[in-house]
Amino acid sequence: MRYALAETAPMGDASAAAAAPYDEMIDPAGDVRPHYAALARRVASLSDEDLAERQRLLERFFLLQGITFTVYGAESSTERIIPTDLLPRIIPAAEWATIEAGLVQRLRALNMFLADIYSDQKILMDGVVPRELVLGAPSYRREMQNLFVPHQAYANVCGSDLIRKPDGGFAVLEDNLRVPSGVSYMLANREAAKRTFPGSFRMAGVRRIEQYPDLLLSTLRSMAADWRPNPQVVVLTPGVYNSAYFEHAYLARLMGVPLVEGRDLVTHDNMVYMRTTTGLRRVDVIYRRVDDDFIDPLTFRRDSSLGVAGLFNAYRGGNVVICNAPGTGVADDKAVYAYVPEIISYYLGEDAILPNIETFLCREPSQLSHVLANLDKLVVKAVGASGGYGMLVGPHASRAERERFAEALTADPDNYIAQPTIQLSTAPCLIDGAVDPRHVDLRPFILSGDKIRVTPGALTRVALKKGSLVVNSSQGGGSKDTWVLGEAEAAEPRS
Amino acid sequence: MMLARVADSLYWIGRYVERAEHMCRLADVLLNATLDRTESSGQVARMVISAVSDAEHPEEISPWDAALAITMESGDSDSVTAALARARENARQVRDQITTETWERLNLIYLRVTGAAAHREFSDAPSQFLHDIIADLHLFKGAADATMSHGEGWGFLQLGVFIERAQLTGRLLQAGFGRSLGRPVTEHAAMTALLRMSCALEPYLRKHTADIQPRLIRQFLMFDEDFPRSLRFATARIEDHLSGVGRNVDLGGAAGPERLAGRLKARLLYAEAETLTGEDSDLLVATVLEECARLHAGIYDTFVAYSLEMRLPA
Repeated sequence: MRYALAETAPMGDASAAAAAPYDEMIDPAGDVRPHYAALARRVASLSDEDLAERQRLLERFFLLQGITFTVYGAESSTERIIPTDLLPRIIPAAEWATIEAGLVQRLRALNMFLADIYSDQKILMDGVVPRELVLGAPSYRREMQNLFVPHQAYANVCGSDLIRKPDGGFAVLEDNLRVPSGVSYMLANREAAKRTFPGSFRMAGVRRIEQYPDLLLSTLRSMAADWRPNPQVVVLTPGVYNSAYFEHAYLARLMGVPLVEGRDLVTHDNMVYMRTTTGLRRVDVIYRRVDDDFIDPLTFRRDSSLGVAGLFNAYRGGNVVICNAPGTGVADDKAVYAYVPEIISYYLGEDAILPNIETFLCREPSQLSHVLANLDKLVVKAVGASGGYGMLVGPHASRAERERFAEALTADPDNYIAQPTIQLSTAPCLIDGAVDPRHVDLRPFILSGDKIRVTPGALTRVALKKGSLVVNSSQGGGSKDTWVLGEAEAAEPRS
Repeated sequence: MMLARVADSLYWIGRYVERAEHMCRLADVLLNATLDRTESSGQVARMVISAVSDAEHPEEISPWDAALAITMESGDSDSVTAALARARENARQVRDQITTETWERLNLIYLRVTGAAAHREFSDAPSQFLHDIIADLHLFKGAADATMSHGEGWGFLQLGVFIERAQLTGRLLQAGFGRSLGRPVTEHAAMTALLRMSCALEPYLRKHTADIQPRLIRQFLMFDEDFPRSLRFATARIEDHLSGVGRNVDLGGAAGPERLAGRLKARLLYAEAETLTGEDSDLLVATVLEECARLHAGIYDTFVAYSLEMRLPA
């Protein structure tokens, strides 16, 4: 197998050139890292045709399962699979232990933060986080004030985006506490990897992730009122045209609960029911995959036809639970993000295990001038946007693009943050028949209900374009399976 | 217990899959029977075209164009491709309710008939193309039968299949022997073609030997107890599945579609099949088609679009 490290920092300015990206498989000396050794040997033993054949097998698996999105053309529409890479990304046990502890700590603190700002707002009184930053955020929901949330679990499903810095350490790039998606790809990638590399998979001692749907169901059930003996859980989807519809159906199927659309639900006397063939049936917990804005036209956006009229009142009345709770978005706001280390130490009295990326808030005049002076080295993001939209990658942008952003920044500084351009780590990917490094991130999934649980696996997103740092699927990104290794097996006990 | 919308989708999957299979056979028999220019081939063409369309002058449409339209025309809900696309779209909406094995079969057929090569495959070897779709649809039905729970969802799927089937057989009988259309088939080859279209040739021969007569064909397609495409068989299944899915519905004393289904089944069960005149047969077929339409509406009103006032929880 020919595999060369990515060239260092494709940037014009030598002074701005960051350290070379960390490679997941090969150390700077060019040797294969021990946890990749078995896979590297296996891949090296395969001919190009074998690799191509496995890639075809993988793609066929996705096509058959209907893991596709539709590209609407002028006359006909075609179905494409989400680009998926053949070679798994491997994370050793010790590294995962740190990640897991960091994620649990972070979500505990963020849930406490949400419970606080939707009740006494102590953290705002103490001036740890600026009041107007929280209360002025569009994702702050006044309607949630003083509303009881079981276990203080506001974000029942969280998908955080981690990246590995050039020094090898992981850092959190973003918290997703609203309706994070991608977990079905984590599970589907695993199913596919077991078919494409069965031998290596067995040898490696990969930790199981297949229990995720069970854990999700028990998390959702733990949110139901305890006087309801057999709580009815449903998954609420915007419908078949949503790009994540496959995931909604997949999770509903694996949990064995109904997949409902807004039109299947009705409210009556502050209770929520679904229309079944034999009449109305009470619903207790709604795992909603619809944004806050659209869940209830009476409370939020009036023009929404995806939600259920009266749902929020039923929620306020304690007759139904909405997961994730509305208003969690205020804790993954890109500006609030900068304060997460302070939030962790405020509530838990601990240092953050997983660090943040250094972040400049353009709302602070001193930081704004720094950002404007260094636009060619920074990544600028709009606070409200997601999915890789409304973003400027300074080193890769043209002068005109930078000038446009500079104007926007000066006009509305509150709306922007900036971060240094981080060289995401690279992992080997099969590109046009050859093994080549591409930048990757890591999205693990954390569940919180009566307790917080991290599934030992993740979605590794890949920037398929050479040198690109943007991994979002809407911007030409793909994904690959992620193997979290178990502790090295203890020696066989002698009988 | 199942969502009303899901029941509706499963019902429609059943209907569309059955329709697609029937249309494949129609197109295949049409292309086969019209290879020569004889009176019988004209009869077959007229029969097929009047079974699928309201065209006033069926003889003006060439068999090839008709077969192509039956197979591929998009937008027309009766073409094979359109029916399969709709079946698959419905399946996607209830993806959590059908097994992976069942979904995969349907998805495969859909990918084939909507693929870039479909048009060429049809033009190169239409018979092979249609035959493969039929075989794949049988695999779909087999996978559903072998892997899905035979509960409520299965009941709705089968209701769709058998209501569609009763209507398709009924319409074929009208097209073949109906007096209203004026030109019943008489040629031996045309009658064989009619039997082929309802997949009935071999079972018919086993029962009546090669004695092919309009009266016996009619009898067979209407009243045979065991042939799965006869009106009697289909209506008995409709009654069966409807009483299964209707078991837990409380209509507050009102009559549901089960009464209709029971009456329809009895009509065919107790009809005087041996002495029925052609005219009476026409009337009975027309009645079956009307009753199926009423059943279709009744199922929708009872299980899917019921008014909420009637069903509020106590």
